[in-house]
Amino acid sequence: MKNTSKDKKASSAGEPRARRDDLVVKEMPDEVLIYDLQSDKAHCLNRTAALVWNYCDGRTTVATMAGHLKQELDIPVDERVVWLALDQLSKKNLLDEKIVPPASMAGINRRHMMRAMGLAAVVAVPMVISIVAPVPAQAGSLGGTGDPCCTGAQCASGLCNGAGTGCNPPGTCL
Amino acid sequence: MKKIDRLGWAAGFSLKSYGVRIGIRSNNPTALEEVRKYLPNHCDETSSPIVDRLYSIFIGGEGPRQNIRRFNLLYADHLRVERSLQLDEIFLRFESDFRLFVAELAKGRVFVHAGVVGWDGQAIVVPGRSFSGKSTLVAELVRAGATYYSDEYAVFDSKGRVHPFASPLQIRQEGDFKQTKIDVAQLGGRAGSKPLPVGLVLVTEFRKGARWKPRNLSAGAGALELLSNTVSARRSPGNALDAFDHVVSNAQVVKGARGEAHEVVPYILEKLGKNS
Repeated sequence: MKNTSKDKKASSAGEPRARRDDLVVKEMPDEVLIYDLQSDKAHCLNRTAALVWNYCDGRTTVATMAGHLKQELDIPVDERVVWLALDQLSKKNLLDEKIVPPASMAGINRRHMMRAMGLAAVVAVPMVISIVAPVPAQAGSLGGTGDPCCTGAQCASGLCNGAGTGCNPPGTCL
Repeated sequence: MKKIDRLGWAAGFSLKSYGVRIGIRSNNPTALEEVRKYLPNHCDETSSPIVDRLYSIFIGGEGPRQNIRRFNLLYADHLRVERSLQLDEIFLRFESDFRLFVAELAKGRVFVHAGVVGWDGQAIVVPGRSFSGKSTLVAELVRAGATYYSDEYAVFDSKGRVHPFASPLQIRQEGDFKQTKIDVAQLGGRAGSKPLPVGLVLVTEFRKGARWKPRNLSAGAGALELLSNTVSARRSPGNALDAFDHVVSNAQVVKGARGEAHEVVPYILEKLGKNS
C-alpha cells in the first residue's frame, strides 16, 4: 500500500494521519499486523490501537476518535485512551507526523491507565507490541556472534574460535 | 570470468529444492558423491544449466611436497564460505548454507526455524533459535507417540498447513555443545508425510529449574513470534503474514520457559487434545 509523495498532506496537530506508505498490513479479527518495510520492524496492534490507527485519516479529531471508540467498544472511553494509542503509534513511526501529547498526559502510561480503568482496561487499553525482523542467518540454525559453537559450520560467519578443540571447551561464533 | 571459474572442475550436477535451483561442482568426483549425503530429502536433480546458487567444492589433498596439505575450500557463488583441512567441516558448512539459502528463497513455502511434530491430525510447532531446546522437546514428544516432522524448520504453505522437513534430529546432551544426529526410528518413532493444520504453537526455551507456567498469547502476538523466527521475514513479509494468519486463526499459542522436556509433554498433548 503506497502513497506517492503528492498524496501526502501534513495533518494538523489535532487530526493525525496514519502512515500508509512502505507498510504491509494484515487485518485480523481483533488485531492488525503491520510490517514496516523501511525499518524491517513488525508491529501487532490490539483492537483499540488498531481502531485508533484506522481513525487517523487527517480529518478526525482526538475528541471524535474517543466518541467512536466508546461506541465501538461499548465502554466509557475518554481522550486519554486515544492519546495513549497515538503516543505509541507515533513512537513506532506509524503516523505521518510525530505526535506530542498534551501536558495533561505527561507521565500517563498503560499501567496507570489500567489502574484507573479497572476491568474496562482489559478491553480498552491500547497496546502495540513490536519485533525486529531477523535476517536469514538469525532465523536459521546458524549461530550469531557470541553464540556457542564447535565448528565454523555452526556460525553465520563461518568462524568458530573453538573449532579444533573437540568442543572441549566450546568456542564462540565470531 | 572470476578466478574461481578458472580452477579445474571435474564434474557437477544441478538440482531443485522447493523451486530453488542449485548447482554443485567439484574438482573431485568422489566429493560429489559424498555431498549427496548432505542433501535434504526434497531435492530433484535437473539438467538446467541456470541456477540461483552455485556451490564449488575444492578438495585440497596432498600438496606438491611431502607433509604439505592444501586446504579444502567451499564457495557459494564467488564467495568463499569455508576453508578447512577437515573435509567434514566443508560438507557440514555446505549443508547448513544450502538449507538456509533454500529456506530464504523457497517458492510457495514459508520456512520458520522450529521443531514440529504431529499429534492426532494436528501439528505442534515449537519456534525458536538454536540452543533453545527445540530438538530435545521434539524428541521427547516423539517418544510419547507424536509423529516426527522436523527439528529444524516448520515449512508452511500459503494455507498455513505445515509440511514435513524430515532429517535426523540433532540433539545436544546437557552441558555439551556438540550435536549428535539421531534417526527418528532410534526413538521408536516415525516420520510424518502429509501436511497438517497447526493445533498448537508453543513458544518456549529450556531454563534449568524453570517452573512451567505458560500464558496464552493473542493471535497477533503468536504471528509475531513466528515471524521472529522466519528465514524470509525481510524478503517476503507479506507471504509470511498471510500464512501465519491462517495458522493463528485456528491454533492456540502459548508461551513460557520450561524445565525438563518430559515434565511438559503431558501438558502439551492435553492442551492439543482440548483444541481438537
